[in-house]
Amino acid sequence: MAKEKAEVKDIDHSLYDFRYEEKDTDFYKIAEGLTPEIVMEISEKKGDPDWMRDFRLKSLEIYNKKQVPQWGPSIDGLDMNNIVTYVKPKTKMTADWEEVPQDIKETFDKLGIPQAERKSLAGVGAQYDSELVYHNLQQEVADQGVIYTDIESALHGPYADMIKDHFMHLVPPTDHKFAALHGAVWSGGSFVYVPKGVSVEIPLQSYFRLNAPGAGQFEHTLIIVDEGANLHFIEGCSAPKYNIANLHAGCVELYVGKNAKLRYSTIENWSKNMYNLNTKRAIVEEGGTMEWVSGSFGSHVSYLYPMTILQGANSRMDFTGVTFAGKGQNLDTGAKVVHNAPNTTSYISTRSISKDGGISTYRSSVVINNKAKNAKNSVSCQSLMLDDISRSDTIPAMDVRTQDADVGHEAKIGRISDDAVFYLMSRGISEEDARALIVSGFADSVSKALPLEYAVEMNNLIRLEMKGAIG
Amino acid sequence: MSEQILKVNALPNPTYNWLRMNEADVKFPAEVTEANPTVTHDPAVTASAVRYEEMQDIAGGMGYDMDLFIKNSGISVLKLSTSEGSRIEKPIHIDYTFRKEDETASAVYIDAADNSSLIVVEDFRSDDSASGFAAVQTKIRIGKNASVMLIQVHHTAEDFRLFNDIGTVNAEEGRFEQIELFLSGKTIYQGSRTDLSGKNSSLKTDIGYLLKGEQHLDMNYIANHIGKRTTCDIHVDGVLRDEAFKLFRGTIDLRKGAKGAIGNEMEDVLLMDDTIVNQTIPIILCDEEDVEGNHGATIGRIDDELMFYLTSRGMTKEEVYEMMAEARIDAVINKIPDAETRNAIYMSLKGHGEVKFLED
Repeated sequence: MAKEKAEVKDIDHSLYDFRYEEKDTDFYKIAEGLTPEIVMEISEKKGDPDWMRDFRLKSLEIYNKKQVPQWGPSIDGLDMNNIVTYVKPKTKMTADWEEVPQDIKETFDKLGIPQAERKSLAGVGAQYDSELVYHNLQQEVADQGVIYTDIESALHGPYADMIKDHFMHLVPPTDHKFAALHGAVWSGGSFVYVPKGVSVEIPLQSYFRLNAPGAGQFEHTLIIVDEGANLHFIEGCSAPKYNIANLHAGCVELYVGKNAKLRYSTIENWSKNMYNLNTKRAIVEEGGTMEWVSGSFGSHVSYLYPMTILQGANSRMDFTGVTFAGKGQNLDTGAKVVHNAPNTTSYISTRSISKDGGISTYRSSVVINNKAKNAKNSVSCQSLMLDDISRSDTIPAMDVRTQDADVGHEAKIGRISDDAVFYLMSRGISEEDARALIVSGFADSVSKALPLEYAVEMNNLIRLEMKGAIG
Repeated sequence: MSEQILKVNALPNPTYNWLRMNEADVKFPAEVTEANPTVTHDPAVTASAVRYEEMQDIAGGMGYDMDLFIKNSGISVLKLSTSEGSRIEKPIHIDYTFRKEDETASAVYIDAADNSSLIVVEDFRSDDSASGFAAVQTKIRIGKNASVMLIQVHHTAEDFRLFNDIGTVNAEEGRFEQIELFLSGKTIYQGSRTDLSGKNSSLKTDIGYLLKGEQHLDMNYIANHIGKRTTCDIHVDGVLRDEAFKLFRGTIDLRKGAKGAIGNEMEDVLLMDDTIVNQTIPIILCDEEDVEGNHGATIGRIDDELMFYLTSRGMTKEEVYEMMAEARIDAVINKIPDAETRNAIYMSLKGHGEVKFLED
């Protein structure tokens, strides 16, 4: 058994942990640290318009004034003086997979991105370190007027005004220290616009790969789903493991129009030296629907609480999340929702699993403001402790300011039932497989919400994490 | 008179600052006088004045600043103790009647020896027009297989500020039952921390509140499961109307080594006006595998089906709400075993013209 554990853990690492040594000649790297000069240099390299350059510098000022959060996991191991905020592969973004440099192409090949594009996606964006290296959208989707491009191109193209009107308006740099950091050094990411009434039947995906040691990735995702439109967007991320801290401080801003629907799915499998300080926020207009599906498996430390503002009457939000914290991980995840309009509905369902000394924290907030007459909210958070060296906390907050609201909350923390394991073992299943089966079932609500290929990937991740859990 | 700012009711594990639920910064007077409650007790209970140091190892729910404030106020501590194995049937009554412009502090130390049991009723009231301040601290040490029931009833005047702190330590098999009723008072900060240190020790808390006008109730309840097979059950039932504000912080901390521990917490809040503020933060911290922690909350209106049924029987919506509000508080009052205390509460509610209770 001990031998199998060692072998499986090797497989686990190799799945996402492969890396190609980066030659200095292939990449442009900015100096470590965070100064106005570095921010100016990033801005120049990216050819920012004037307003964006000023925005970056203003954000840096805010960053320097803001404190790190006084709650949540420690980020003492993160020293911005040692982080390289911009690493650009010496290649241009292309829509032809064959033009992507060989080593980068092999990286994404191993992650299954081109196969996924062929099988189940309408469009793909692939970011390597700080810049997108590949972006493509099926012609028939483009013909419907759907825009799917990198933010940099959008900043200079016909959608420049739309970017200016929306960029960091939902998540202003004043929101918190790492939003300000993002505002100062953001690079890469995607812009999606789905016109009125257009339904994109198959998902779009962006995949973010951070390959450089000691680097940060700060991609910005801006999605606007116009009135009556429909989109499923998938975000994937991974990185090889290094002995020094890496940082991900991305930002996702989602605008869901009247009667529109957006599903945003994430399978996050950053390496376990990563500080994942990501901010995601959606605003939903009248009759709109926002659905989040979130699987958090990687990172050393995560702060991740996608927030939804239900701004229009009859709008709704569903959040389904699973977090798996293993050895050396402290994953602080959850969701936030603000009800600002009548007849709004939100449902949050999460599952957390802690194993091998991992710490998982479910943290949430539900705010129902006075205007939100007849608002309804339901929260269900369940946590599973797989051994006695791990930790699991739930910290949900509710703030209700109208009598015309119905709020329900339930939380449960416990262990795998011995009876359930015994039952499965009596049917010929090994204890390890029995526990893995129970944990997969526990996370079922998320895998059911994902397209088949991604559900399989998620279940594989759970199975690999569970290997070696016994004894 | 000069004032000082104290940090009270801090969450054991803080969260987003923008929610403003992590703790409260409150104004305390720089100096206070000693409160002079009326205390009646069975002769088998020993009453004495002791130094603060005798109970300072017991932590309260309001936190360090409150401990320091009480300690530095220079007041004496009233110690009430039982002898081993004594079963005190008649409740101890500690009745506070605060006067206009009072600024007082008070400390009570209850020491229940092994295998003993007692009931303590602390009644907080004031003159109708009293606009003052009181800080009260009650620390409780529960011996092996001992049992303490603490009943606290808050019915101070509309302009009174009360800071009430409780700290309890349970030894093996020790049982702590707590009933809290918040019926009036301008501002109440309530902290309560129970350390379930001994194996098989338990906590049962029932809280009922009926807040109206501009009342402000800020609570911090903490149950620390330290010993094996410890249990806690926290039930909160409340009604908010007018412009009342309520913040309930409830923490179940299942610590390493507390194998077999079970913590349950349930809050049920009825909202009756559109200008209320209801904040709830129920926390479960879990550092042990072989435990169970559960929390549930329902906040809002009366269930539609129930409302339909009752209105179809001829009641108006307003009557249904009044009845449900009464029923919630009544359910908590009925958990008080002492008829004298129950009747006094009903009389007080009637005096305040609150509601027509079924039993008065």
